[in-house]
Amino acid sequence: MSKVVEISPTTRHEGHSKLVLKVNDEGIIERGDWLSITPVRGVEKLAIGKTMDQVPKIASRVCGICPIAHTLAGIEAMEGSIRCEIPEDAKLLRVILQAANRLHSIALHNILILPDFYIPGTETKINPFTPEEPVRSVAKRIQRIREIGQTIGEIAGGEAVHPSNPRVGGMYKACSERAVYKMYDLAKEGLTLAHQQMEFMLAVLNNMKKRDWTDVAGKQIPLPKTLGYHDLGYMASHPMYASSNLDEIPGWDPDRWTDVRPWDWYMGEVEVSLADPSYPIGGTSPVGTKANPQMEACTGVPLYDGAPVEVGPRARLATYKNFTEKGTWAQHVARQLEYTDCCYTMINALDAYNPSGKVLADCIPQGDGSMGWAANEAPRGCDVHLAKVKDGRVLWYEMLVPTTWNFPTCSRALTGAPWQVAELIVRGYDPCVSCATHMIVVDEDKRIVAQKLIQ
Amino acid sequence: MGTELGVYKTCVSARSTSKEILKKAQDGGIVTQLFAYALDEGIIDGAIVAGPGPEPWRPMPMVALTSEELMASRGTRYNLSPNVALIKEVTRSYGLDKVGIVGTPCQMQAVRKGQLYPAGLRDVPDKIALAIGIFCMENFPYQSIKQLVEDHAGMALPAVKKMEIGKGKFWVYGERGQVVTLPLKVTHKYEQPGCHVCLDYVANLADVSTGSVGSPDGWSTVFVRSKKGDDIWSKAMAAGCFETKPIEQVKPGLELVSKLANEKISKNQKTVESRATFGVNKALRNPYVSPK
Repeated sequence: MSKVVEISPTTRHEGHSKLVLKVNDEGIIERGDWLSITPVRGVEKLAIGKTMDQVPKIASRVCGICPIAHTLAGIEAMEGSIRCEIPEDAKLLRVILQAANRLHSIALHNILILPDFYIPGTETKINPFTPEEPVRSVAKRIQRIREIGQTIGEIAGGEAVHPSNPRVGGMYKACSERAVYKMYDLAKEGLTLAHQQMEFMLAVLNNMKKRDWTDVAGKQIPLPKTLGYHDLGYMASHPMYASSNLDEIPGWDPDRWTDVRPWDWYMGEVEVSLADPSYPIGGTSPVGTKANPQMEACTGVPLYDGAPVEVGPRARLATYKNFTEKGTWAQHVARQLEYTDCCYTMINALDAYNPSGKVLADCIPQGDGSMGWAANEAPRGCDVHLAKVKDGRVLWYEMLVPTTWNFPTCSRALTGAPWQVAELIVRGYDPCVSCATHMIVVDEDKRIVAQKLIQ
Repeated sequence: MGTELGVYKTCVSARSTSKEILKKAQDGGIVTQLFAYALDEGIIDGAIVAGPGPEPWRPMPMVALTSEELMASRGTRYNLSPNVALIKEVTRSYGLDKVGIVGTPCQMQAVRKGQLYPAGLRDVPDKIALAIGIFCMENFPYQSIKQLVEDHAGMALPAVKKMEIGKGKFWVYGERGQVVTLPLKVTHKYEQPGCHVCLDYVANLADVSTGSVGSPDGWSTVFVRSKKGDDIWSKAMAAGCFETKPIEQVKPGLELVSKLANEKISKNQKTVESRATFGVNKALRNPYVSPK
């Protein structure tokens, strides 16, 4: 006889979401739904009629951890629609900005996941806020890595959070020679720290992989070897930066994308029949609580080739570097492996960058309404923005954000795990729920379904 | 009043020891010399100054990274130069860590406010290494200067060598040697209205402030105010950058500075107060008090 348990809200990720889980008598998840309950802000609908310069700056405000992804994907979707090729040095600055943001984002995610893990060889979980060693030095290193990522992003992109420098047609400002040296010095320092941090995280992960159980609220919860496995596919458009419809060989195909409503994918109404007041911290939802993932989910469900896909570091490594491991631990490993890539990418781009080069296209067409798209490889995966621009104004705008892709995939990956570790699986995706919840869902009659949720 | 000159450690009459700087300096070349010294010593790695603009006598804020660039910004341009507009950008695409900035009293206020209440000014507060303030009675829009010089003084702007407000007159010096003076009464209607609520004459919030009033021609009155300003000023003195005289020994000295400061403050204080009863049962906003 299956029971329903609900963890609401989930913690240690960006945004507001919950887990509605059908479990068997042993507490093993038979079917899980992980869904966004972040209020819909409707960026795509309010973009219509606004200028192509303004919309990416609005889209940036979807998320403050990965605003770079939304700014760049937004701008490059506009450039894709108006068919504008930007100068090489502008592209290099964008690549530096991208890598800097990914560096900071991975480090931030380290802070969020470390409390789930053990100091290798001990029964002590890692509290990143403790003043005690060895954790203190790790926390300091993480903060320095983030500082480096933010500072480089600030120089190349004008601002670390909501970058001001990118614009349709290139960048507003070229970086001075001094700024290039400063970024270079920081990237070199970052490289050393990123190596150390990557190795530390891999040791922590390997230790976790060998464990048979983890402690949740004083109980030993078994850890399945197949934690977080799913048999869905993965999708990535580029190993580091992005692809758009202007590329000779695009890394993404809009014809393979379809969108369905949450109720084609999620469970209908259920009632919570299992509660655990000891679940840290504050317990699960009380018995009798009604949940309805179909109606409550605040995201659409984008499909690639008719099925949900996984996006993110593991998808990138699987697509471009034959990475074959799967499941939660593999996702974490893949994310750490991207640490040093970020620094090498910045160093190489800085080598190639010419401070006196042009950063704005000579001609910026105003658009004829053609569709353009750009797929930015955000820290959390492929962030596709699609746009139609005519006479400088946005006619149509669509955002397919990494965590939106991952929501249904991760929900399937919950099956087979004890419900107490469902959040571990969720955190493997480094979810960014604000990112995922940016759209208004339109049903077949073109009525705005999400309005029902707001009312 | 007694507070009209702000808080300061020392006040001297000074001029640069560099003949090259003095050639085109407005007065004693204090700003150019102090920034040049700070640049050479690595105290700052760039300074926001009023550089040459797209039209004659129109300043354009620029980031000077060398003494040559500082030299190009010498001389007073009596119209608006929004120097603070660059305060964030210098820490971004310019990549500076230690920023120098020169400006009028209101611009010093902006810098300090930005340091204490950095709204949208991430990473700016700790990067201000030296803020030099210049005395300012009032400023003009570019169009005003154009009309004063071209219509009232009857000179072509590109042919003007120097402008000066002093001794109760607006002075325009031509490249060919002619000198035209206008009574200040003529200039009043051309002033920027926003200057009429300003209660700061000698850049009270700068690290070092400087201006012509109080010292003889070719010399400047200098207030060394903050710890940072004092430190840099003493080092520059030790390095032989400046000739100085005690302010008490020069004419007209601090007495005149105080008098003009008091005049400015009391006149503008009245304007500020009159805004409270500007309309019938309605006031205009007063930025010096919290909104009710």
